Amino acid sequence: MKRNPKLIAAVVALAVVLLAAGPTFLPPFYVRVGQLMLYSAGLGLAWAILGGFAGYASFGHSAFIGIGAFTAGLVESQYSTLPPPLLLPLGLAAGALSCAILSAVIAYPILRLRGTFFAIAMLGVSHVGAEVTNNIDFFQGAMGLNFPPLAPAGMDPASFFYELFLAGALLTLLISWLIRRSRFGAGLLSIREDEDTARMLGVPTERYKRVAFVVSAVLTGLMGVIYAHSLGYITTDSVYRDDTNLSLIVYSLLGGMGTLFGPVIGAGLLVFITQVILGRLLDFHLFATGLLLVLLILMAPGGVNGLLNRKRRSA
Amino acid sequence: MSLLEVRSLSKNFRGLAAISDVTFAIAEGTITSIIGPNGAGKSTMFNLITGYLAPTAGEVRFKERRITGLATNRIAELGIARAFQIARPFRDLSVFDNVRIGALFGKAGPRDVEATTWRAMELASIAPLAELPASALTVGQLRHLEVARAIATRADLLLADEPCAGLNPTETAAMIDVLRQVRSNGVTVVLVEHDMPSVMEVSDRLLVLDAGRLIADGPPSVVANDPKVIAAYLGTPDAA
Repeated sequence: MKRNPKLIAAVVALAVVLLAAGPTFLPPFYVRVGQLMLYSAGLGLAWAILGGFAGYASFGHSAFIGIGAFTAGLVESQYSTLPPPLLLPLGLAAGALSCAILSAVIAYPILRLRGTFFAIAMLGVSHVGAEVTNNIDFFQGAMGLNFPPLAPAGMDPASFFYELFLAGALLTLLISWLIRRSRFGAGLLSIREDEDTARMLGVPTERYKRVAFVVSAVLTGLMGVIYAHSLGYITTDSVYRDDTNLSLIVYSLLGGMGTLFGPVIGAGLLVFITQVILGRLLDFHLFATGLLLVLLILMAPGGVNGLLNRKRRSA
Repeated sequence: MSLLEVRSLSKNFRGLAAISDVTFAIAEGTITSIIGPNGAGKSTMFNLITGYLAPTAGEVRFKERRITGLATNRIAELGIARAFQIARPFRDLSVFDNVRIGALFGKAGPRDVEATTWRAMELASIAPLAELPASALTVGQLRHLEVARAIATRADLLLADEPCAGLNPTETAAMIDVLRQVRSNGVTVVLVEHDMPSVMEVSDRLLVLDAGRLIADGPPSVVANDPKVIAAYLGTPDAA
């Protein structure tokens, strides 16, 4: 298959324009679904920088959603007199910084663990984060934190946050793409395949894992800050969520682990199924998600991407 | 000039002395084989040189610089590469991408990555397999891949751990040919090998380890007739 860079660029540009124009033609319900898809895709992509590329599957990435959201909320409440257009960048910067510092610190001990042990340790990190936020009054996790309304006058908040989530997801996709084609990205893949051999070939495995972890945490935190604003009011339970911890893994499994677009496909598919198809059966939806996952792992261990590749190869 | 120097190196695992006070130097441009019975400490020696294990005493010097205590990836950057006995390919990646990882890292750094990758694959005669996933290769081909990936790092010293183990005579001959090619490209080679005919054929020099001690050191024809070496392999006649 020949790849024409101009054609690809044109398709990408068209897709971005269409996506950005979504709120102008989509019915309100689908703007909300789109919001959730873009939020999920951004989170899935950020997770996959560590989990998909380097093979360090985290089961606790909601920790960074929570840390980002609460840091942003606390900082913004200190500067609540600033005009809204300045408040959001401030919150994003504060959320990103706190995620960067925290992830850089816990990277040293936690990245010595591999496989399931790393996954479970990250689950622990997210639960500790939730407990701290909930039980120390300073963080106001139990009482809840308010976020100032940011949408410009005359703009529907749903559309406004749709565009913000789109920007966040595109930024994360761009960074993932750049990593994927870089020496750093090749190093991460070799870590996923065989970490000891990678080190033996000169891949600075410890440094690469730490950098991937911090980048993943910061991007997750940024999505978390936007999410918190879109909710307007958060408690511990609205950001430190175990179903989010689980979903982030499912997006990559569903779409194709370690592939660039895997998390996007997975997030889109899962959100569509749970929100649109199963939307009327809310009590049913965790069960259906589980069932879907089991079927998928049995039938297509490589995810949707793997399925497409197999078709292409046999054709 | 000696490329690699091992000085009074010892390694104890709890009470067991896997390597005891071993000293030797490897001259540039040579092929040296480390031989010895199972459990003599051959693989431990490689693990100590590459920094995978830390010695109990002694040191390793490479290009006159102490490398003991450096991280494995730093030692690789200085120019030591290793090919494993049990091939450890990146299974989900193609042969090309496997070798490319070597060319991107090691001493090579990210210069002329494509060309370096192809040259290493040609040297190890696996260029025609470039597009195949590593998981599709035979045991013999995987050994060649190990060597290609190691060479792609532009290493000055290749440590090959039993590259001929389990190969049939044709594959063994091909591997020996590759090792000679590697040497004539200016890479110094140290082998751990059991297959005596290939060792005798390819080596300039033999080092014999027995129970962690260096018991013989010299040209293959001399070492093979050394009574101490024969005793280590076959036992002494009056020991029964």
